[in-house]
Amino acid sequence: MKFSRFAVVGLLLVLLMAISVAPVVAQETLPRNETLYFNGQQWGPVTGWNPYSNSNNNAMAIAQQDNARVIMFETPYLYNMLDGQVYPLLADGPYSWNEDRTELTFKLKPAARWSDDTPLTAHDVAYTWATHVKYNTPTGAGNIDYIADVVAVDDYTVTVKAKLNDEGAAVNPLIVQAYVSTNYVIQKAWTETLEARANGDAVALLADTAEDVVYSGPYHGYFWDDSKVIYIRDDNYWGQDASMWGKLPVPKYLAHNIFTDNAAGTLALQSGEVDVSQQFNSNVQDLWLVEGLPISTYLPDAPYGIGASLPTAFFNLNAHGLDNVAVRKAIAIAVDYPTIIANAMTNQSATFDQVPRSLMNPTPGEQAMYDRAAVADLQWAGNDIEGAKALLDEAGIVDTDGDGWRELDGQPLRYVATCPNGWSDWQAAIEVVAAAGAQIGIDITTNYPEWSVYQTVVTKSDEPLPEGYEIFMMWSDGAGPTQPWSRVRKLLSSEFNGMASNWNGNWGGYANPEADALIQAIPTITDEAQLKEMYTELVRIYLTDVPSFTLMYRPQSFHTVNESVWTNFPYDGDGTNPPVPPLDMTDGWAIAGLYNLELVNP
Amino acid sequence: MRYMLGQIFGSGRFRIGFSIFTFILLTVLIYPLFVTDPPLKTVSRGTFLSPGIYVNVYDSMGFSPLYTLLLDGDVERRIASKLSEDDRTAMQEWLVKAGLSEDAIDTQDTAALLDLWNANFDPGIRLPGMTNADRNYYIRLNAGLQGLLATEGAIVALPNPETGTLDEQSVIDQTNYVNINEVPNTRLLPLGTDNFGRDVLTQLVAATGVSLTIGLVAGTVATLIGLILGLFSGFLGGMIDDVIMFITNLFTVIPSFVLLILISFSIGQESRGALTIAVVIGLTSWVWTTRAVRAQVISLRNRDHVNLSRLSGHSTVYILMADILPYIASYVVMAFILQISSGILAEAGLSILGLGPRTTEVPTLGLMMQWSMIYQAPYLGKWWAYFPVILVIALITFSMTLMNTGLDRVFNPTLRD
Repeated sequence: MKFSRFAVVGLLLVLLMAISVAPVVAQETLPRNETLYFNGQQWGPVTGWNPYSNSNNNAMAIAQQDNARVIMFETPYLYNMLDGQVYPLLADGPYSWNEDRTELTFKLKPAARWSDDTPLTAHDVAYTWATHVKYNTPTGAGNIDYIADVVAVDDYTVTVKAKLNDEGAAVNPLIVQAYVSTNYVIQKAWTETLEARANGDAVALLADTAEDVVYSGPYHGYFWDDSKVIYIRDDNYWGQDASMWGKLPVPKYLAHNIFTDNAAGTLALQSGEVDVSQQFNSNVQDLWLVEGLPISTYLPDAPYGIGASLPTAFFNLNAHGLDNVAVRKAIAIAVDYPTIIANAMTNQSATFDQVPRSLMNPTPGEQAMYDRAAVADLQWAGNDIEGAKALLDEAGIVDTDGDGWRELDGQPLRYVATCPNGWSDWQAAIEVVAAAGAQIGIDITTNYPEWSVYQTVVTKSDEPLPEGYEIFMMWSDGAGPTQPWSRVRKLLSSEFNGMASNWNGNWGGYANPEADALIQAIPTITDEAQLKEMYTELVRIYLTDVPSFTLMYRPQSFHTVNESVWTNFPYDGDGTNPPVPPLDMTDGWAIAGLYNLELVNP
Repeated sequence: MRYMLGQIFGSGRFRIGFSIFTFILLTVLIYPLFVTDPPLKTVSRGTFLSPGIYVNVYDSMGFSPLYTLLLDGDVERRIASKLSEDDRTAMQEWLVKAGLSEDAIDTQDTAALLDLWNANFDPGIRLPGMTNADRNYYIRLNAGLQGLLATEGAIVALPNPETGTLDEQSVIDQTNYVNINEVPNTRLLPLGTDNFGRDVLTQLVAATGVSLTIGLVAGTVATLIGLILGLFSGFLGGMIDDVIMFITNLFTVIPSFVLLILISFSIGQESRGALTIAVVIGLTSWVWTTRAVRAQVISLRNRDHVNLSRLSGHSTVYILMADILPYIASYVVMAFILQISSGILAEAGLSILGLGPRTTEVPTLGLMMQWSMIYQAPYLGKWWAYFPVILVIALITFSMTLMNTGLDRVFNPTLRD
């Protein structure tokens, strides 16, 4: 008896010690003034380090996208969303096209080296592409229709060969040139090790956690578990060579605690435990105006950030009445956009007075790509209840049975507006859309299915959307080297109709041959005046047919910083040249921001 | 009956509980007669407007009658609202960092401080050791200081559509006032607005009504099921008792809230109306009523009057209604009251998890809590969006528990004073 009591007490003590000691060991107490803390990127534990795969759940290290995240793996070029230009990273100087725009050639910096101190060469670039194709990785599958081959001309010269169409021209030179700023270069030697380990099996290759991966970037994984992920600086990083940054990035550690939800992340930002916040903080201005915290955003006033994508309400064009443009337009012009922007987004979006609706995002570069005045007569400011009613009356869509709701062909117009549950700003926006319906005699209710259900329904484009998905919200592309073309394509092109799994766009099933022809022609056009004319025409089609309508503008990533420990984060007018975009200091050209940081109290 | 009521109301606890509950109920019934706005109407563009009276600026801007009041300290108050002590110190800090000597700056002499400030401050520079948050603060401060010491009035002008110029309409002096009663557009928002820009008080009153209904429906369903099963199980015994108790025990070991979550989730949001939720809550919370009723019936079923009734050939239903139910009625009423309050709590719990009734149709207390959490009201100090809701939930359950214990004292002889 006595013994067992001892045993129990002893066991409890051991357990207690284990519990209290474990986090201490894990934390290794990172020095606060050498660590930059993030939130809003990493939800859930890291599962891998494999740059060929897109299921590592390793958001801080691996995100091959328009503004690729380059703290660990690097791209030849860095895209800068603020000026729309690309700047060399691994590459040495700008790339060049051959005369027919079928081959793109660039040089690599001789200083570029891998973490195992071997030189990074053109053979690595070529082998990366070959591997993507050989194992049909997501990158390979996404580019195989546009890129024929990537070849190493010599040790430091790479040529990307475009796939050609029947006329001998590149199918899509835009996507070819985007490849060099959106895709990582991966070491050939390590890839061969990986292939040997996977025995040449594509599934095994993509499933490999790759903890031995060789990288070229300034940081690598240091510690990761269920509660956090920490990256440590590689002090031998090649980029301190004079041909690149000339120095190391300032923070020794990049750390990201895994928060349960936005609220927990906001709390950590408020208390100074997070330096860079990439999440939606409701009423962000209160953090400094009311609470007086040393927190700021890229712009000091609303919209606080640079809008880059267009969260959009799509119409299911197969639903009763929504095949009628008068109904679509009536709903779109009746919606109270200023309330969506003020309430759902708490003013963290430009208004449609500031940036009239089009297919372009609010960045100056894209706004310049269409003729605003030419489509001014098609614009709507929203909240136009009388106009919407008149439009419906004119189209003969009236309330015939006196129940307060309008009918078309004897059937009432009854719709469900929907978006995923828990996506708070979208839900609040959809509520406003539904409220507009009641005012113009169209019965719109809301519904919020779980994301797992929502995504499978919405992305299935080979059959009509089921009831309950008449008006639904989805995203559109943000800023990137193929924009605004890619966004326009995903909003309007009929090429996605009929796909069993459509993660691209045009989920409502719109089809317009005129728009398709323009979308297909644009990538091969280089004459700016002609491009502008074509984009203006597409905007005209979009605003006339209203297959979907933008509800607000949303930043590429939210960028709120707490300057308790670090300062010199990018802000509008900070004098950096080229300007550092407000993208978390890790994405595309935004990584330049990591080299500018300073301590508040050195 | 009169004697019993007298006894019930003789209990202090019951009286307090009853008054709180009646007050809430009356508010729910009377308030909509005065404020006729639909509870889910968006009234503010901008979220979490703080509680207060909102006066239309345009209407009060020299178009309604202006009065002149000569009040002491008006200028000082105006200046203090724009330029606090902290602001003065911060201005001094900036000027010192910009190279001025600290002795040359008198923070209490507003005119001199402003002169120095205007002569030196440049919004374009970011002084060494200053963060961007600091810089933004100084830019905001500087903007707020414009015209701070002006003594002349502000000019109200309207654009002339013909010439495109501004035509002066009136001058508003610093001593001008409007009488709030004469401004055509004012709105009292006693509890401000929420994340959708809805009037919190109006919504709260409507939500209280809905939540009470949910509680009532859930309570009725649960009590009815519990009562019927308990009566039959206890009175009939045997095989029927075994079967009913088997089911009851099954439900006892599954935590009812978990069951509630699972059912709500599987119903799917499209069909989750307030009433559906109420019925589901009722269907998952009858277990304890059944057990308690059964226990009481077992103790009653062999009493002499019941046996007599049986001998007289009365039907089972008659015996249950006439000879058993009256003896346990007081207990059932008390259980019913508790079921109502636990029904309201269950709805709130479900809605906070996002499994309550759908948002667009009716407000409920739980939904109000859920949305204030989603929009981070507690972290931003927007107490009016969630605290009144918590208070109402607490008051309802408190008043019901008080009524319940009051009744207990009357009906339970062992507790009687």
